[in-house]
Amino acid sequence: MSDPLQATLKIGASGLQAQSLRLRVIAENMANAQSTGRTPGSDPYTRKVMSFESEVDEAASANLVRVAGIERHRAPYRVEHMPGHPAADAQGFVRLPNVDLVVEAADMREANRSYEANLQAIKQAREMISMTLDMLRSS
Amino acid sequence: MQIFDIVSRHNNWLAVRQTAVAGNIANANTPGFRAQDVQPFEMAVEQARLAMAATQPGHLSSGPPDAPAMEVRRENPWEITHSGNNVSLEQELLKAGEVNRAFRLNTSVAKAFHRMILTGSRV
Repeated sequence: MSDPLQATLKIGASGLQAQSLRLRVIAENMANAQSTGRTPGSDPYTRKVMSFESEVDEAASANLVRVAGIERHRAPYRVEHMPGHPAADAQGFVRLPNVDLVVEAADMREANRSYEANLQAIKQAREMISMTLDMLRSS
Repeated sequence: MQIFDIVSRHNNWLAVRQTAVAGNIANANTPGFRAQDVQPFEMAVEQARLAMAATQPGHLSSGPPDAPAMEVRRENPWEITHSGNNVSLEQELLKAGEVNRAFRLNTSVAKAFHRMILTGSRV
């Protein structure tokens, strides 16, 4: 059996990695909230969403977390009437990305909170390791 | 010295519990993931039996004595989200704090007893 505390650190690290990737995807969405196509009738930027999945690590018998994949969101694009825009179609309608900044901001807060929780789990495991080592120290 | 045995066994159980908590926290956003916890320590101690000595490779063993501490059970959740995930971060952090406190107590007790033994041997 491997050391459970080492397994804890490994799980926490996988959580940190997954949540930071989530933050990257959110930043991408926010940055591209106004990115339209360049030619008439072309598609604008599509909102990306990522999903998580649980992965069992055989050696440590632990539930690591893994990014299952980054997909395109299926919500319809916003349409605005802007004749003269490079991406406007024959009727003057421009398709804008299906990104809602409020939703992204809320998602960002959640990612932040999950990241902090993972960090806390790692911190406590490290504290436990150092407490064990402290037993060796002569007092 | 039974006190050192029970301390090390409890610390091992706490470390396993911390692993379960970390797994729950890491999977707080995984769809369909169910929160897990280890069996209570009292149960793990009661079920621990003495292992039989195996002097020949053909001897049967009665299984590892510390196996029940590793067993994982489902637990009662505070909240269930739409995706079927029932991890509550607050609950998990509360559990992590509990584990940390118990671990600190155990190491302090072991340290104190160790000091007592050392004092006795010095006389």
